[in-house]
Amino acid sequence: MADETPKESQPQQPQAASEPKEHRPQEHPRAPEAAPANQRAHEGRPPEGRPRGESRASEGRGGEGRGPREGGREGGPGKRGGRRGFYRKKKVCRFCVDRVDFIDYKKPEQLMTFIQERGKIVPRRITGTCSRHQRWLAEAIKRARNIALMPFGGAR
Amino acid sequence: MEERLYDLIFIFRPATPEEEIDKMIATLENTVAERGGKVEKKEKWGARKMAYRVQRHREGYYVLMVLRATQGDMVHELERRLKVNDAVIKYMTVRLDEDLKRQKRLQQRRERKASRRPRGGARGHGHPGGEPAAAVAQQQ
Repeated sequence: MADETPKESQPQQPQAASEPKEHRPQEHPRAPEAAPANQRAHEGRPPEGRPRGESRASEGRGGEGRGPREGGREGGPGKRGGRRGFYRKKKVCRFCVDRVDFIDYKKPEQLMTFIQERGKIVPRRITGTCSRHQRWLAEAIKRARNIALMPFGGAR
Repeated sequence: MEERLYDLIFIFRPATPEEEIDKMIATLENTVAERGGKVEKKEKWGARKMAYRVQRHREGYYVLMVLRATQGDMVHELERRLKVNDAVIKYMTVRLDEDLKRQKRLQQRRERKASRRPRGGARGHGHPGGEPAAAVAQQQ
């Protein structure tokens, strides 16, 4: 509710002072960055002409699938901005950053960082890997396991 | 049939004498040549700790061969030979060409994208910074 109020009417709103006051200062440095991100990802949501508070509110929940990377589909989950004052650091797919086109199963040292202590593949909600790279990664880990380069269970 | 690229990895027991390993590799190379294939790469990784125990061995002698094949039954024959040999405790064949094709395609797409937009990497950050400077230059 408070988030949907336009910017200029905020000082008159009594309830606006209680909760959103805390994240208002944070909004300013992020706002210029967020607007071009909206325009790049062609999501059919016009970012212009909408009050700033509202666009932010939608970003906290539904904006996760909209990666700021160019190319759209490769973008990882954009976790920016919780609804409260703090916000999580946005995770970026490490493979996308390095422009990896092929994950080699013959290099277990690199893959080891993506398995847990008991040999499980770390889910991408933890590592921030994009879906495409997670798929390749899982494939590579499974191949490496097959030829005893990586463990199935805990390292014995 | 079109060419296919394979990774063939196999592991010997750690106590296998070097000559026997070389002999096995030679037989495999012969088989490949017989069936109209080609050995692209041959790597002996040497004794290496395995991630889990295989036939009660903790270590194994790894050998990697990258092969190009035109006949599909080449892989079957190679695997049969590896299975027969007692010194080989594990082997795996992986088809690579599809992955490499995909990799190539992605690279090409990226290059095309890069050529279309020269300053694509800047992501608009350079633009607001660059504009005032240009405006200043015009005023002077």
